[in-house]
Amino acid sequence: MDAHALKRAALRLLAAVALCAGLAALALLALSVENSATFTRWQPWILLFSICGVLALGVLLTRKLWQLYRDFRNHVPGSRLAMRTVWIFGSLVIAPLVIVYLFSLDFINRGIDSWFRVEIKQGLNDAVVLSRAALDLRLREQARRTDSLAHALRTLSGTALLSRLEDERRATEAQDIIVYDAENRPIAVSSAASTPEQPGPPVPEVILQLATGRPYVSLNPLANGRYTITTAAPIGVGPGSAPDADADPAAGPAVAHGPTSYVLINYMVPLELSALAEAVQHTSSQYGDLSAVREPLKISFRLTLTLVVLLTLLAAIYGAIFSAQRLTRPVQDLIAGTRAVGKGDFGTRLPLPSRDEMGFLVHSFNDMTKRLRRTSEEAARSRQAVERERERLSIILSRLSTGVIVTDHELVLHSANQSASSILASRLESGLGQPLATLAAGHPRLSAFVAELGQRLSAGVLEWREQLGLPGESGQRVLLWAGTPLPDERERGLVVIVFDDITALLAAQREAAWGEVARRLAHEIKNPLTPIQLSAERLRRKLLPAMNAEDSLLLERATHTIVQQVDAMKQMVNAFSEYARAPDMQLARFNLNQLVSEVAELYRLQDPSAEIRLALDARLPEIEADRGRVRQILANLITNGIEALAGRPHGSVEIGTQLQDAQLQEVELQETPGPALAAPASARGVVQICVRDNGPGFRKEILGRLFDPYVTSKPRGTGLGLAIVKRIVEEHGGRIEAENRPEGGARVRVWLPLSAEDRALLAGVERRMELRRERA
Amino acid sequence: MAASLKMTSARPGRFRASRLLALLLSLLLPYLAPMGSALAQGPLDGNFQIDAAYIVLDHDVLELNARIRYPDNERIRNALQDGVTLAFDVEVAIARPRRFWFNATLLDTTLRRELTYHAVTGRYLVRNEASVEQQSYATLDEALERLGNIGDLPILVQSQLGPGPWQVAVRAGVSRGRMPSALRALMFWSDDWHRQSGWYTWMLTL
Repeated sequence: MDAHALKRAALRLLAAVALCAGLAALALLALSVENSATFTRWQPWILLFSICGVLALGVLLTRKLWQLYRDFRNHVPGSRLAMRTVWIFGSLVIAPLVIVYLFSLDFINRGIDSWFRVEIKQGLNDAVVLSRAALDLRLREQARRTDSLAHALRTLSGTALLSRLEDERRATEAQDIIVYDAENRPIAVSSAASTPEQPGPPVPEVILQLATGRPYVSLNPLANGRYTITTAAPIGVGPGSAPDADADPAAGPAVAHGPTSYVLINYMVPLELSALAEAVQHTSSQYGDLSAVREPLKISFRLTLTLVVLLTLLAAIYGAIFSAQRLTRPVQDLIAGTRAVGKGDFGTRLPLPSRDEMGFLVHSFNDMTKRLRRTSEEAARSRQAVERERERLSIILSRLSTGVIVTDHELVLHSANQSASSILASRLESGLGQPLATLAAGHPRLSAFVAELGQRLSAGVLEWREQLGLPGESGQRVLLWAGTPLPDERERGLVVIVFDDITALLAAQREAAWGEVARRLAHEIKNPLTPIQLSAERLRRKLLPAMNAEDSLLLERATHTIVQQVDAMKQMVNAFSEYARAPDMQLARFNLNQLVSEVAELYRLQDPSAEIRLALDARLPEIEADRGRVRQILANLITNGIEALAGRPHGSVEIGTQLQDAQLQEVELQETPGPALAAPASARGVVQICVRDNGPGFRKEILGRLFDPYVTSKPRGTGLGLAIVKRIVEEHGGRIEAENRPEGGARVRVWLPLSAEDRALLAGVERRMELRRERA
Repeated sequence: MAASLKMTSARPGRFRASRLLALLLSLLLPYLAPMGSALAQGPLDGNFQIDAAYIVLDHDVLELNARIRYPDNERIRNALQDGVTLAFDVEVAIARPRRFWFNATLLDTTLRRELTYHAVTGRYLVRNEASVEQQSYATLDEALERLGNIGDLPILVQSQLGPGPWQVAVRAGVSRGRMPSALRALMFWSDDWHRQSGWYTWMLTL
């Protein structure tokens, strides 16, 4: 049991003691008032129980008052109301109680004093004196008569004596007349009783009184309320003989009495006089009993009244505190519940105190908290749904190929997905909350994007959908971007920008269009070429013999020109056809380094002025590819390099091969711009062919369309060289990039898979890269 | 017949709350001050004791004989003459002592007599509550002498005693009698007209 439970049990025990003690005191008091002996025995217990009850009640009350004061001082909710209620209840109880107490004290004093007024006491004394005087008159009469009888009996004895006694008894209505001798023995008796008993000796006081020589007279009360008068007088010395001891008094004395004999007479006081005297005596006695307890009575009344008032007061105050606490407990519960609700605890349930207005209030509070809890739970569920939706949206955004960023008018980045970072070649996710201008430092593509964005936002353009060209290391990147303000964030000025990199898409569209153009050109132009050529040759064959030398020379030149130009057109048409046609590849394993060396040697022979340097990777294994097409790749790239160096001193073309891992290649592609990573010695998968020159490089305006047909910077170029190279590379599942070197010159890099497996691996990498491009 | 006489202040086998009460009474000291002064000059002050007591077996009936000395002073005399009635109680108890438990009570009876002053006749009346017997005496001394002599008072039949041993206890008390019961209840803590002798005990041998 903890201390709190122990304390509560002790308080309950104390309350039980107070209740039991009070009840026991009252019960003992009620039971003992009817029996004085029981009362005397239980008297200490009654007082003990009463005091115990008062003390226990006092302790309980003191504790309650201390609790009230402590709560009031600590500003406990509801304590002021409880204190005020106790104060009102206490005032309502104490004020009348004190008034009644003071009035009762005065009433007790006056009332008790009025019972014992001097006039009453004097009246009672006078009544006693009057009664005694009335009886004294009769006493004296009876005494005188007794004395006369005693004198008359001096000379009598025997039958005469008895006769005299009988006559006297009848005459005076006496009860008994007895003549005693000197030894106090009865010698003659006359009794009114029908069966007289043998009289005993007189009481000692009679003998003692007569011994003094004076007559005896006394008034005696009887238990039945009657009075008797007893008189005795000495008879004196008579002339008769000595008394006869053996004589029978009932039969009548036979002898005269001695010198110390005496007569004793019992008279009954008349009934009326006895009743009056007894009434006076009874009243006097009762008054005496009461007046003797006058002061103790006052003290008792005061003490009783004080104890009752004290018990009532304590019980009333305790009841007031109890009632106040009971009344304010629901209010305290309501305050505590309100505070709990204020702190967000909607599970608070208050106990219903009763069915009154307070109960209705508590019920309403419980109903309110129930609804609040339900609403809170619904809000929490909605919040969770929103969170889940946000997470889902975040996942979708992160997997989305479209770049999404959210910014405000100050160009502070609020949100960005992974594709945005990939397309803009920067790490936007780690720069949330920072200005875009800060993040764009060192990133030219992002800088151009931010500049364009800032220009639009500052111009107040919040919604657009356009294409945007951004600079890139390998050419211009084309974005399709759209901006719109967020509907719920207009106050904050948030704008969401969505953009896709459509560079590859545009290139593919251009490529498809050019393929179609090439196919149609080849088809439409090639057909009339042969009749033209045949017609020209027929003209020359038919007309040449019949013409003169001058005309024949003219014809010869003209037809030769026609045939030559038709051949040129055939070559061009064949080139277009080659571009549009996708023949089957003849895959075979061969040494790429050897092929590179052969082609380089061929060009050295054709143009000795050209400086062609090789940087071949000796670790390069045999490659599985179409040897003829790879030769065409090398030839076209070297031709381009040599033609770019035309007229330039110290021009050189460098051809390098390098073995790379397919994954590494992907990393390298991702990490642009940046240094190319060297392939590890054991790596297999991709070979990189890099052809670079120190010429003027590509023109920037065609940098993004280098692999499109008919895009060329040379006066006599067909513009199909790099387009065909790209087609062949893609047929091998490889990849090609062309760019300008920072130190000057152009660089074209071709990645070709080493084998079919590596082609599949590279195709995966390529598909991922392509996917990114498509996402863009 | 009587043996092992002993005077004790407490009756065997009974707990008295008076000692505990004395402590608690001090809490009401201001109110009890008048009563305290009255107790200091108690109206029943004087020699009050049981000089002798014994039991006589007469024809299988136990009869109590006792000689009690009651206080006698002017306050008693004046109170009686003012009309106060005094009750003279003699409490007799016979118990069988038990070693490990309370004593078994065989008899617990009280002889109550009242002494009043008859103002009309000027005599002192002694009444026995148990009977209609009433005696009157010319002086208070005679009345107290009569009250102090208890002779051959039958209290129990021998067959009711059961097996021994038996312990007899006699105690005399004087109190204000003939008081209304309601008033007695009100005065239970301020009545100084109440005094009891100590228990006079002895082991009864027959």
